[in-house]
Amino acid sequence: MSSAIERLRAEVTTSSGLKPLRVMAASGQLGYGIPDPAFNAGLERKPHLIGADMGSIDPGPYYLGAGKMAQSETMVRVDLAKCLRGARSLNVPLLIGTAGSAGAAPHLAHTLEMVREIARNENLHFRLASILADIPRDEVKKAIRADRVVPLGQIAGLTEADVDRATHIVGQMGIEAFQRALAQGADVIIAGRACDSAVFASVPAMLGYPLGPTLHMSKIIECCSLCCTPGGRDTIIGTLEGDSFVIDSMNPTRHASPMSVAAHSLYEQADPYAVREPEGTLHTKDAHYEVVDEHRTRVSGSRWEPATQFTIKIEGAMRVGERAVLLCGSADPRVIANIKTITAGVEKTVRELTPPRTDKPYQIFWRVYGIDAVFPWDKPPEPLPREIFIMCECIADTAEEAKAVATVTKQYLLHHGFPGRLSTAGNTAFPFTPPEVMAATAYRFNVYHIMDVDALEPFFPVHVENV
Amino acid sequence: MKLIEVAKVIRSKNAGPTVLTLDLLFNDDAGFRHACESPSLKPEAIAKLYGQSVEKVEVLPYPPALAIKIVLPRRIVSGNPGDSDVYGAQQHGPMLGIEL
Repeated sequence: MSSAIERLRAEVTTSSGLKPLRVMAASGQLGYGIPDPAFNAGLERKPHLIGADMGSIDPGPYYLGAGKMAQSETMVRVDLAKCLRGARSLNVPLLIGTAGSAGAAPHLAHTLEMVREIARNENLHFRLASILADIPRDEVKKAIRADRVVPLGQIAGLTEADVDRATHIVGQMGIEAFQRALAQGADVIIAGRACDSAVFASVPAMLGYPLGPTLHMSKIIECCSLCCTPGGRDTIIGTLEGDSFVIDSMNPTRHASPMSVAAHSLYEQADPYAVREPEGTLHTKDAHYEVVDEHRTRVSGSRWEPATQFTIKIEGAMRVGERAVLLCGSADPRVIANIKTITAGVEKTVRELTPPRTDKPYQIFWRVYGIDAVFPWDKPPEPLPREIFIMCECIADTAEEAKAVATVTKQYLLHHGFPGRLSTAGNTAFPFTPPEVMAATAYRFNVYHIMDVDALEPFFPVHVENV
Repeated sequence: MKLIEVAKVIRSKNAGPTVLTLDLLFNDDAGFRHACESPSLKPEAIAKLYGQSVEKVEVLPYPPALAIKIVLPRRIVSGNPGDSDVYGAQQHGPMLGIEL
Protein backbone atom coordinates (compact mmCIF):
# COMPACT_ATOMS: atom_id res chain seq x y z
CA MET A 1 0.00 0.00 0.00
CA SER A 2 1.47 3.35 -0.99
CA SER A 3 1.84 6.21 1.50
CA ALA A 4 -0.28 9.35 1.42
CA ILE A 5 2.52 11.46 -0.04
CA GLU A 6 3.30 8.85 -2.74
CA ARG A 7 -0.37 8.74 -3.74
CA LEU A 8 -0.38 12.54 -4.04
CA ARG A 9 2.84 12.53 -6.06
CA ALA A 10 1.36 10.04 -8.52
CA GLU A 11 -1.82 12.09 -8.78
CA VAL A 12 -0.29 15.51 -9.48
CA THR A 13 2.75 14.56 -11.55
CA THR A 14 2.33 14.71 -15.36
CA SER A 15 4.85 14.72 -18.20
CA SER A 16 4.24 18.46 -18.65
CA GLY A 17 4.71 19.39 -14.97
CA LEU A 18 2.67 19.46 -11.79
CA LYS A 19 -1.12 19.73 -11.82
CA PRO A 20 -2.81 22.42 -9.70
CA LEU A 21 -2.69 21.47 -6.00
CA ARG A 22 -5.63 22.33 -3.75
CA VAL A 23 -4.70 23.01 -0.12
CA MET A 24 -7.59 23.29 2.31
CA ALA A 25 -7.22 25.24 5.55
CA ALA A 26 -10.01 23.91 7.74
CA SER A 27 -9.55 26.17 10.73
CA GLY A 28 -7.39 29.10 11.75
CA GLN A 29 -7.46 27.83 15.30
CA LEU A 30 -8.84 24.38 15.85
CA GLY A 31 -11.12 24.04 18.85
CA TYR A 32 -13.22 27.19 18.47
CA GLY A 33 -15.77 25.61 16.11
CA ILE A 34 -15.53 25.10 12.34
CA PRO A 35 -18.58 26.39 10.42
CA ASP A 36 -20.06 23.41 8.51
CA PRO A 37 -21.20 25.02 5.24
CA ALA A 38 -17.73 26.27 4.24
CA PHE A 39 -16.00 23.15 5.59
CA ASN A 40 -18.29 20.87 3.58
CA ALA A 41 -17.96 23.07 0.48
CA GLY A 42 -14.20 22.70 0.87
CA LEU A 43 -14.44 18.89 0.97
CA GLU A 44 -16.53 18.94 -2.21
CA ARG A 45 -13.61 20.57 -4.03
CA LYS A 46 -11.57 17.43 -3.29
CA PRO A 47 -8.54 19.12 -1.70
CA HIS A 48 -5.22 17.29 -1.88
CA LEU A 49 -4.59 17.92 1.79
CA ILE A 50 -6.30 19.39 4.82
CA GLY A 51 -4.46 21.44 7.40
CA ALA A 52 -5.37 23.25 10.58
CA ASP A 53 -3.45 25.31 13.04
CA MET A 54 -4.29 24.65 16.67
CA GLY A 55 -2.23 27.13 18.64
CA SER A 56 -0.17 30.23 18.96
CA ILE A 57 1.93 32.20 21.42
CA ASP A 58 -0.62 35.05 21.21
CA PRO A 59 -2.88 33.99 24.10
CA GLY A 60 -0.08 34.58 26.58
CA PRO A 61 2.20 32.52 28.80
CA TYR A 62 -0.36 30.56 30.85
CA TYR A 63 -1.04 27.72 28.42
CA LEU A 64 2.59 26.95 27.70
CA GLY A 65 3.53 27.35 31.35
CA ALA A 66 0.72 25.20 32.73
CA GLY A 67 0.67 22.61 29.92
CA LYS A 68 -3.04 23.25 29.40
CA MET A 69 -5.24 23.99 26.40
CA ALA A 70 -6.88 27.36 25.85
CA GLN A 71 -9.80 25.75 24.03
CA SER A 72 -12.54 23.74 25.67
CA GLU A 73 -11.95 20.01 25.39
CA THR A 74 -15.49 19.46 24.12
CA MET A 75 -15.00 21.83 21.20
CA VAL A 76 -11.57 20.42 20.36
CA ARG A 77 -13.10 16.93 20.12
CA VAL A 78 -15.83 18.20 17.79
CA ASP A 79 -13.34 19.98 15.50
CA LEU A 80 -10.80 17.15 15.51
CA ALA A 81 -13.50 14.61 14.64
CA LYS A 82 -14.74 16.81 11.77
CA CYS A 83 -11.24 17.13 10.30
CA LEU A 84 -10.41 13.44 10.78
CA ARG A 85 -13.65 12.30 9.12
CA GLY A 86 -13.15 14.75 6.25
CA ALA A 87 -9.55 13.78 5.55
CA ARG A 88 -10.20 10.03 5.82
CA SER A 89 -13.27 10.27 3.56
CA LEU A 90 -11.03 11.72 0.83
CA ASN A 91 -7.99 9.63 1.84
CA VAL A 92 -5.75 12.73 1.93
CA PRO A 93 -3.25 13.84 4.55
CA LEU A 94 -4.42 15.82 7.58
CA LEU A 95 -1.82 18.03 9.24
CA ILE A 96 -2.36 19.81 12.54
CA GLY A 97 0.20 22.20 14.01
CA THR A 98 0.85 23.45 17.55
CA ALA A 99 -1.31 20.81 19.19
CA GLY A 100 -3.24 21.78 22.29
CA SER A 101 -2.64 25.57 22.10
CA ALA A 102 1.06 25.73 22.96
CA GLY A 103 2.53 22.54 21.46
CA ALA A 104 4.53 21.21 24.45
CA ALA A 105 4.60 17.52 25.42
CA PRO A 106 1.44 17.59 27.62
CA HIS A 107 -0.51 19.43 24.89
CA LEU A 108 0.64 16.94 22.28
CA ALA A 109 -0.16 13.92 24.48
CA HIS A 110 -3.62 15.27 25.27
CA THR A 111 -4.40 15.94 21.60
CA LEU A 112 -3.13 12.49 20.54
CA GLU A 113 -5.33 10.86 23.18
CA MET A 114 -8.35 12.58 21.69
CA VAL A 115 -7.36 11.62 18.13
CA ARG A 116 -6.98 7.94 19.09
CA GLU A 117 -10.30 7.95 20.93
CA ILE A 118 -12.12 9.56 17.97
CA ALA A 119 -10.53 7.01 15.61
CA ARG A 120 -11.73 4.14 17.85
CA ASN A 121 -15.24 5.52 18.19
CA GLU A 122 -15.63 6.26 14.48
CA ASN A 123 -13.80 3.18 13.22
CA LEU A 124 -11.20 5.25 11.35
CA HIS A 125 -7.84 3.67 10.52
CA PHE A 126 -4.69 5.53 9.49
CA ARG A 127 -1.01 6.04 10.12
CA LEU A 128 -0.70 8.64 12.83
CA ALA A 129 2.52 10.61 13.21
CA SER A 130 3.29 12.85 16.16
CA ILE A 131 6.18 15.30 16.31
CA LEU A 132 7.56 16.50 19.62
CA ALA A 133 8.70 20.13 19.84
CA ASP A 134 10.11 20.20 23.37
CA ILE A 135 13.71 21.37 23.24
CA PRO A 136 15.92 19.53 25.76
CA ARG A 137 17.18 21.89 28.47
CA ASP A 138 20.75 20.64 28.03
CA GLU A 139 20.71 21.61 24.35
CA VAL A 140 19.51 25.12 25.16
CA LYS A 141 22.18 25.49 27.86
CA LYS A 142 24.86 24.27 25.45
CA ALA A 143 23.69 26.84 22.93
CA ILE A 144 23.77 29.59 25.59
CA ARG A 145 27.36 28.66 26.47
CA ALA A 146 28.29 28.70 22.76
CA ASP A 147 26.72 32.16 22.41
CA ARG A 148 24.15 30.84 19.93
CA VAL A 149 20.98 32.23 21.58
CA VAL A 150 19.71 35.78 21.06
CA PRO A 151 16.59 37.51 22.43
CA LEU A 152 13.67 38.25 20.12
CA GLY A 153 12.82 41.84 20.94
CA GLN A 154 12.83 43.46 24.35
CA ILE A 155 13.36 40.41 26.54
CA ALA A 156 16.39 39.66 28.70
CA GLY A 157 19.26 37.54 27.43
CA LEU A 158 18.72 33.87 28.24
CA THR A 159 20.48 32.36 31.25
CA GLU A 160 20.85 28.72 32.28
CA ALA A 161 18.74 29.55 35.36
CA ASP A 162 15.92 30.71 33.03
CA VAL A 163 16.13 27.39 31.24
CA ASP A 164 15.67 25.55 34.56
CA ARG A 165 12.84 27.81 35.69
CA ALA A 166 10.73 27.42 32.54
CA THR A 167 8.12 24.69 33.03
CA HIS A 168 8.20 23.87 29.30
CA ILE A 169 10.48 25.00 26.48
CA VAL A 170 9.31 24.43 22.92
CA GLY A 171 10.85 25.19 19.55
CA GLN A 172 8.94 26.11 16.41
CA MET A 173 9.36 23.40 13.81
CA GLY A 174 9.25 24.15 10.09
CA ILE A 175 8.43 22.11 6.98
CA GLU A 176 11.40 19.78 7.52
CA ALA A 177 9.81 18.01 10.49
CA PHE A 178 6.45 17.51 8.74
CA GLN A 179 8.23 16.12 5.69
CA ARG A 180 10.01 13.46 7.77
CA ALA A 181 6.62 12.39 9.11
CA LEU A 182 5.19 12.27 5.57
CA ALA A 183 8.18 10.24 4.39
CA GLN A 184 7.35 7.70 7.10
CA GLY A 185 3.92 7.21 5.58
CA ALA A 186 1.85 9.47 7.80
CA ASP A 187 -1.80 10.04 6.92
CA VAL A 188 -2.41 12.25 9.93
CA ILE A 189 0.24 14.42 11.55
CA ILE A 190 -0.22 15.98 14.97
CA ALA A 191 2.69 18.30 15.61
CA GLY A 192 3.88 20.09 18.71
CA ARG A 193 4.84 23.77 18.40
CA ALA A 194 5.09 24.50 14.69
CA CYS A 195 5.21 27.41 12.27
CA ASP A 196 1.65 27.81 11.07
CA SER A 197 2.85 28.06 7.47
CA ALA A 198 4.67 24.70 7.70
CA VAL A 199 1.35 22.93 8.30
CA PHE A 200 0.24 23.86 4.78
CA ALA A 201 3.59 24.21 2.97
CA SER A 202 5.25 20.89 3.82
CA VAL A 203 3.25 18.73 1.38
CA PRO A 204 3.52 21.03 -1.67
CA ALA A 205 7.21 21.68 -0.94
CA MET A 206 7.82 17.94 -0.84
CA LEU A 207 5.99 17.46 -4.15
CA GLY A 208 8.17 20.08 -5.82
CA TYR A 209 5.88 23.12 -5.99
CA PRO A 210 7.94 26.34 -5.99
CA LEU A 211 8.75 27.45 -2.44
CA GLY A 212 8.02 31.18 -2.83
CA PRO A 213 4.34 30.82 -3.79
CA THR A 214 3.98 27.75 -1.53
CA LEU A 215 5.12 29.54 1.62
CA HIS A 216 3.29 32.76 0.74
CA MET A 217 0.03 30.90 0.15
CA SER A 218 0.48 28.97 3.39
CA LYS A 219 1.07 32.15 5.35
CA ILE A 220 -2.19 33.57 3.99
CA ILE A 221 -4.48 30.56 4.35
CA GLU A 222 -3.35 29.61 7.85
CA CYS A 223 -5.84 32.19 9.19
CA CYS A 224 -8.56 30.79 6.87
CA SER A 225 -10.92 33.47 5.54
CA LEU A 226 -9.42 36.29 7.60
CA CYS A 227 -7.74 37.53 4.39
CA CYS A 228 -11.17 38.23 2.83
CA THR A 229 -13.70 41.06 2.99
CA PRO A 230 -15.53 40.67 5.26
CA GLY A 231 -12.98 38.57 7.13
CA GLY A 232 -14.07 35.43 8.92
CA ARG A 233 -13.12 32.04 10.24
CA ASP A 234 -14.51 29.92 7.40
CA THR A 235 -12.55 27.22 5.62
CA ILE A 236 -10.51 28.43 2.64
CA ILE A 237 -8.72 26.76 -0.28
CA GLY A 238 -5.45 27.90 -1.77
CA THR A 239 -4.61 26.41 -5.16
CA LEU A 240 -1.01 26.27 -6.33
CA GLU A 241 -0.73 26.58 -10.12
CA GLY A 242 2.65 26.96 -11.74
CA ASP A 243 4.36 30.00 -10.27
CA SER A 244 1.25 31.47 -8.68
CA PHE A 245 -1.61 30.59 -6.37
CA VAL A 246 -5.29 31.44 -6.08
CA ILE A 247 -7.12 32.24 -2.83
CA ASP A 248 -10.74 31.07 -2.68
CA SER A 249 -12.90 31.26 0.47
CA MET A 250 -15.41 28.44 0.85
CA ASN A 251 -17.89 30.95 2.24
CA PRO A 252 -19.39 32.61 -0.87
CA THR A 253 -19.93 35.90 1.01
CA ARG A 254 -16.26 36.33 1.96
CA HIS A 255 -14.37 37.70 -1.03
CA ALA A 256 -10.60 37.60 -1.47
CA SER A 257 -9.64 40.82 -3.27
CA PRO A 258 -6.10 41.83 -4.23
CA MET A 259 -6.31 44.51 -1.52
CA SER A 260 -7.64 42.23 1.22
CA VAL A 261 -5.11 39.48 0.46
CA ALA A 262 -2.20 41.93 0.31
CA ALA A 263 -3.37 43.52 3.56
CA HIS A 264 -3.24 40.14 5.28
CA SER A 265 0.56 40.22 5.01
CA LEU A 266 0.43 42.95 7.65
CA TYR A 267 -1.45 40.85 10.17
CA GLU A 268 0.55 40.05 13.32
CA GLN A 269 3.79 40.50 11.36
CA ALA A 270 6.55 42.98 12.16
CA ASP A 271 7.69 43.05 8.52
CA PRO A 272 5.06 42.80 5.77
CA TYR A 273 7.67 41.95 3.14
CA ALA A 274 9.66 39.21 4.90
CA VAL A 275 8.62 36.15 6.90
CA ARG A 276 11.39 34.25 8.62
CA GLU A 277 11.05 30.47 8.89
CA PRO A 278 13.52 27.93 10.32
CA GLU A 279 14.71 26.95 6.83
CA GLY A 280 14.76 30.37 5.18
CA THR A 281 12.92 33.61 4.53
CA LEU A 282 9.86 34.35 2.41
CA HIS A 283 10.12 37.65 0.51
CA THR A 284 6.91 39.21 -0.79
CA LYS A 285 8.29 42.56 -1.94
CA ASP A 286 7.72 41.68 -5.60
CA ALA A 287 4.43 39.87 -5.06
CA HIS A 288 1.68 40.73 -7.51
CA TYR A 289 -2.00 40.49 -6.55
CA GLU A 290 -4.59 40.28 -9.32
CA VAL A 291 -8.32 39.73 -9.63
CA VAL A 292 -9.49 36.32 -10.88
CA ASP A 293 -13.15 37.20 -10.37
CA GLU A 294 -15.11 39.05 -7.69
CA HIS A 295 -14.51 36.22 -5.21
CA ARG A 296 -10.93 35.11 -5.90
CA THR A 297 -7.44 36.59 -6.12
CA ARG A 298 -4.28 35.29 -7.79
CA VAL A 299 -0.86 35.98 -6.27
CA SER A 300 2.50 35.60 -7.99
CA GLY A 301 6.07 36.83 -7.64
CA SER A 302 6.90 35.79 -4.05
CA ARG A 303 10.41 34.52 -3.55
CA TRP A 304 12.02 32.07 -1.12
CA GLU A 305 15.55 32.53 0.15
CA PRO A 306 17.06 29.47 1.84
CA ALA A 307 18.76 30.13 5.18
CA THR A 308 22.53 29.98 5.47
CA GLN A 309 22.09 29.20 9.17
CA PHE A 310 19.26 27.06 10.57
CA THR A 311 17.49 28.72 13.48
CA ILE A 312 14.81 27.65 15.92
CA LYS A 313 12.55 30.11 17.69
CA ILE A 314 12.29 28.88 21.27
CA GLU A 315 9.54 29.73 23.74
CA GLY A 316 9.26 29.05 27.45
CA ALA A 317 7.17 30.20 30.39
CA MET A 318 7.87 30.12 34.11
CA ARG A 319 5.58 30.25 37.15
CA VAL A 320 5.35 33.64 38.81
CA GLY A 321 2.85 32.88 41.58
CA GLU A 322 -0.84 32.38 42.32
CA ARG A 323 -3.31 35.00 41.18
CA ALA A 324 -6.42 36.37 42.91
CA VAL A 325 -8.53 39.20 41.52
CA LEU A 326 -11.07 41.47 43.15
CA LEU A 327 -13.84 42.71 40.84
CA CYS A 328 -16.07 45.69 41.58
CA GLY A 329 -17.40 48.95 40.19
CA SER A 330 -18.35 52.43 41.29
CA ALA A 331 -20.95 54.95 40.18
CA ASP A 332 -20.09 57.64 42.71
CA PRO A 333 -18.62 60.79 41.11
CA ARG A 334 -16.37 61.53 44.09
CA VAL A 335 -15.04 57.99 44.29
CA ILE A 336 -14.33 58.21 40.56
CA ALA A 337 -12.63 61.60 40.85
CA ASN A 338 -10.45 60.38 43.73
CA ILE A 339 -9.88 56.78 42.63
CA LYS A 340 -6.08 57.02 42.35
CA THR A 341 -5.61 58.32 45.89
CA ILE A 342 -8.24 55.90 47.21
CA THR A 343 -6.53 52.84 45.73
CA ALA A 344 -3.11 54.06 46.90
CA GLY A 345 -4.47 54.55 50.42
CA VAL A 346 -6.18 51.16 50.45
CA GLU A 347 -3.04 49.43 49.19
CA LYS A 348 -0.97 51.04 51.96
CA THR A 349 -3.39 49.73 54.60
CA VAL A 350 -3.53 46.28 53.02
CA ARG A 351 0.26 46.02 52.91
CA GLU A 352 0.43 46.92 56.61
CA LEU A 353 -2.24 44.40 57.57
CA THR A 354 -0.93 41.54 55.42
CA PRO A 355 2.86 41.55 55.60
CA PRO A 356 4.54 39.22 53.09
CA ARG A 357 4.67 35.65 54.40
CA THR A 358 7.56 34.43 52.29
CA ASP A 359 10.76 35.85 50.85
CA LYS A 360 8.83 36.33 47.57
CA PRO A 361 6.76 39.46 48.29
CA TYR A 362 3.32 39.60 46.68
CA GLN A 363 2.50 42.08 43.91
CA ILE A 364 -0.65 44.24 43.65
CA PHE A 365 -1.89 45.68 40.35
CA TRP A 366 -4.86 48.05 40.10
CA ARG A 367 -6.75 48.55 36.87
CA VAL A 368 -9.45 51.18 36.74
CA TYR A 369 -11.52 50.68 33.60
CA GLY A 370 -13.00 53.95 32.38
CA ILE A 371 -9.83 55.84 33.31
CA ASP A 372 -6.61 54.17 32.14
CA ALA A 373 -6.74 50.37 32.59
CA VAL A 374 -6.20 49.46 28.93
CA PHE A 375 -3.80 52.21 27.88
CA PRO A 376 -1.63 54.31 30.21
CA TRP A 377 -3.09 57.68 29.19
CA ASP A 378 -1.19 60.61 30.59
CA LYS A 379 -4.31 62.27 31.98
CA PRO A 380 -7.84 61.18 32.95
CA PRO A 381 -10.71 61.68 30.48
CA GLU A 382 -12.75 64.86 30.58
CA PRO A 383 -15.46 64.66 31.63
CA LEU A 384 -14.90 61.69 33.93
CA PRO A 385 -17.02 58.62 33.17
CA ARG A 386 -20.32 58.03 34.97
CA GLU A 387 -19.16 54.60 36.13
CA ILE A 388 -15.83 52.82 36.49
CA PHE A 389 -14.83 49.19 36.85
CA ILE A 390 -12.08 48.42 39.33
CA MET A 391 -9.98 45.29 39.22
CA CYS A 392 -7.37 44.66 41.87
CA GLU A 393 -5.04 41.79 41.09
CA CYS A 394 -2.74 40.12 43.57
CA ILE A 395 0.01 37.67 42.60
CA ALA A 396 1.47 35.92 45.64
CA ASP A 397 3.60 32.86 46.29
CA THR A 398 0.62 30.87 47.59
CA ALA A 399 -3.05 30.91 46.69
CA GLU A 400 -3.97 31.50 50.33
CA GLU A 401 -1.83 34.60 50.53
CA ALA A 402 -3.24 35.99 47.25
CA LYS A 403 -6.75 35.37 48.53
CA ALA A 404 -5.99 37.03 51.86
CA VAL A 405 -4.69 40.16 50.14
CA ALA A 406 -7.66 40.36 47.74
CA THR A 407 -10.15 39.82 50.55
CA VAL A 408 -8.66 42.43 52.87
CA THR A 409 -8.49 44.82 49.89
CA LYS A 410 -12.20 44.29 49.28
CA GLN A 411 -13.18 45.36 52.77
CA TYR A 412 -10.89 48.38 52.97
CA LEU A 413 -11.79 49.58 49.47
CA LEU A 414 -15.48 49.38 50.35
CA HIS A 415 -15.03 51.45 53.50
CA HIS A 416 -12.08 53.71 52.70
CA GLY A 417 -12.74 57.25 53.95
CA PHE A 418 -11.63 60.30 52.01
CA PRO A 419 -12.35 64.05 52.15
CA GLY A 420 -15.73 64.98 50.69
CA ARG A 421 -17.02 61.39 50.65
CA LEU A 422 -20.77 61.17 49.99
CA SER A 423 -21.46 57.44 49.96
CA THR A 424 -20.30 56.61 53.46
CA ALA A 425 -21.99 53.20 53.42
CA GLY A 426 -19.65 51.86 50.73
CA ASN A 427 -17.44 53.03 47.85
CA THR A 428 -17.97 50.08 45.52
CA ALA A 429 -20.61 47.84 43.97
CA PHE A 430 -19.95 44.08 43.84
CA PRO A 431 -21.78 42.34 41.01
CA PHE A 432 -21.68 39.05 42.95
CA THR A 433 -20.03 37.52 45.99
CA PRO A 434 -17.45 36.35 46.63
CA PRO A 435 -16.06 39.27 44.61
CA GLU A 436 -12.52 37.97 44.99
CA VAL A 437 -11.81 35.21 42.50
CA MET A 438 -8.89 32.80 42.29
CA ALA A 439 -7.51 33.11 38.75
CA ALA A 440 -5.13 30.15 38.59
CA THR A 441 -1.35 30.20 38.48
CA ALA A 442 0.36 33.20 36.91
CA TYR A 443 3.16 32.57 34.41
CA ARG A 444 5.37 34.80 32.35
CA PHE A 445 7.41 34.24 29.20
CA ASN A 446 11.04 33.98 30.17
CA VAL A 447 12.18 32.31 26.94
CA TYR A 448 11.45 33.99 23.61
CA HIS A 449 14.69 33.68 21.75
CA ILE A 450 16.28 32.50 18.53
CA MET A 451 18.71 29.60 18.75
CA ASP A 452 21.19 28.79 15.98
CA VAL A 453 21.45 25.05 15.28
CA ASP A 454 23.50 22.90 12.91
CA ALA A 455 20.56 20.67 11.99
CA LEU A 456 16.83 20.85 12.66
CA GLU A 457 16.06 17.13 12.60
CA PRO A 458 17.37 16.12 16.07
CA PHE A 459 15.10 18.65 17.79
CA PHE A 460 11.80 17.41 16.39
CA PRO A 461 11.57 13.62 16.72
CA VAL A 462 8.78 11.89 14.76
CA HIS A 463 6.85 8.93 16.16
CA VAL A 464 4.54 6.91 13.91
CA GLU A 465 1.81 4.46 14.95
CA ASN A 466 -1.08 2.69 13.24
CA VAL A 467 -4.52 3.46 14.60
CA MET B 1 -7.45 66.37 8.35
CA LYS B 2 -7.74 63.66 10.98
CA LEU B 3 -6.22 60.22 10.43
CA ILE B 4 -9.55 58.62 11.33
CA GLU B 5 -11.20 60.43 8.36
CA VAL B 6 -8.90 58.89 5.74
CA ALA B 7 -8.18 55.47 7.27
CA LYS B 8 -10.68 52.62 7.06
CA VAL B 9 -8.78 50.46 9.55
CA ILE B 10 -6.70 51.56 12.54
CA ARG B 11 -5.67 48.52 14.56
CA SER B 12 -3.02 47.22 16.93
CA LYS B 13 -1.81 43.68 17.63
CA ASN B 14 1.22 41.84 18.93
CA ALA B 15 3.76 40.47 16.51
CA GLY B 16 5.00 38.00 19.10
CA PRO B 17 5.01 38.80 22.83
CA THR B 18 7.64 41.55 22.67
CA VAL B 19 6.53 43.60 19.65
CA LEU B 20 3.46 45.76 19.04
CA THR B 21 2.36 46.62 15.52
CA LEU B 22 -0.11 49.25 14.41
CA ASP B 23 -1.71 48.87 10.98
CA LEU B 24 -3.30 51.81 9.21
CA LEU B 25 -5.29 50.89 6.09
CA PHE B 26 -6.45 53.76 3.90
CA ASN B 27 -9.58 54.22 1.79
CA ASP B 28 -7.74 55.41 -1.29
CA ASP B 29 -4.39 56.27 -2.80
CA ALA B 30 -4.73 60.00 -2.02
CA GLY B 31 -5.29 59.37 1.69
CA PHE B 32 -2.42 56.87 1.79
CA ARG B 33 0.00 59.32 0.16
CA HIS B 34 -1.12 62.18 2.35
CA ALA B 35 -0.54 60.03 5.46
CA CYS B 36 2.87 58.85 4.23
CA GLU B 37 4.03 62.44 4.05
CA SER B 38 2.52 63.65 7.32
CA PRO B 39 4.95 64.57 10.12
CA SER B 40 2.34 63.18 12.57
CA LEU B 41 3.15 59.65 11.40
CA LYS B 42 6.93 59.95 11.48
CA PRO B 43 8.79 57.81 14.04
CA GLU B 44 9.44 60.90 16.22
CA ALA B 45 5.73 61.63 16.61
CA ILE B 46 4.75 57.99 17.21
CA ALA B 47 7.55 57.53 19.75
CA LYS B 48 6.21 60.48 21.72
CA LEU B 49 2.62 59.16 21.67
CA TYR B 50 3.70 55.73 22.90
CA GLY B 51 6.45 56.77 25.30
CA GLN B 52 9.18 54.99 23.32
CA SER B 53 12.56 56.17 22.15
CA VAL B 54 12.54 57.13 18.48
CA GLU B 55 15.15 54.59 17.33
CA LYS B 56 12.84 51.77 18.46
CA VAL B 57 9.94 52.89 16.25
CA GLU B 58 9.67 51.85 12.60
CA VAL B 59 7.14 53.27 10.14
CA LEU B 60 6.79 51.10 7.04
CA PRO B 61 4.59 52.16 4.11
CA TYR B 62 3.06 49.10 2.39
CA PRO B 63 1.67 50.26 -0.98
CA PRO B 64 0.13 46.89 -2.08
CA ALA B 65 -2.55 47.33 0.60
CA LEU B 66 -2.48 51.15 0.80
CA ALA B 67 -1.29 50.64 4.33
CA ILE B 68 1.24 51.91 6.82
CA LYS B 69 2.66 49.55 9.41
CA ILE B 70 4.16 50.91 12.59
CA VAL B 71 6.36 48.61 14.66
CA LEU B 72 7.43 49.35 18.23
CA PRO B 73 8.35 47.42 21.36
CA ARG B 74 5.58 46.47 23.77
CA ARG B 75 5.81 48.37 27.05
CA ILE B 76 5.78 45.04 28.84
CA VAL B 77 6.18 41.49 27.54
CA SER B 78 2.75 40.03 26.76
CA GLY B 79 1.14 38.46 29.82
CA ASN B 80 3.84 39.55 32.28
CA PRO B 81 2.48 40.63 35.69
CA GLY B 82 1.08 44.12 35.23
CA ASP B 83 0.21 43.75 31.54
CA SER B 84 -3.10 45.26 30.49
CA ASP B 85 -3.54 43.88 26.98
CA VAL B 86 -2.19 40.36 26.31
CA TYR B 87 -3.02 40.40 22.58
CA GLY B 88 -2.15 44.08 22.16
CA ALA B 89 -5.43 44.52 20.30
CA GLN B 90 -6.47 47.74 22.09
CA GLN B 91 -3.34 49.85 21.92
CA HIS B 92 -4.47 51.96 18.96
CA GLY B 93 -6.25 54.61 21.07
CA PRO B 94 -3.60 57.35 20.72
CA MET B 95 -3.75 57.00 16.90
CA LEU B 96 -7.40 58.06 16.86
CA GLY B 97 -6.61 61.65 17.80
CA ILE B 98 -3.88 62.14 15.19
CA GLU B 99 -4.20 65.18 12.96
CA LEU B 100 -2.37 64.60 9.68
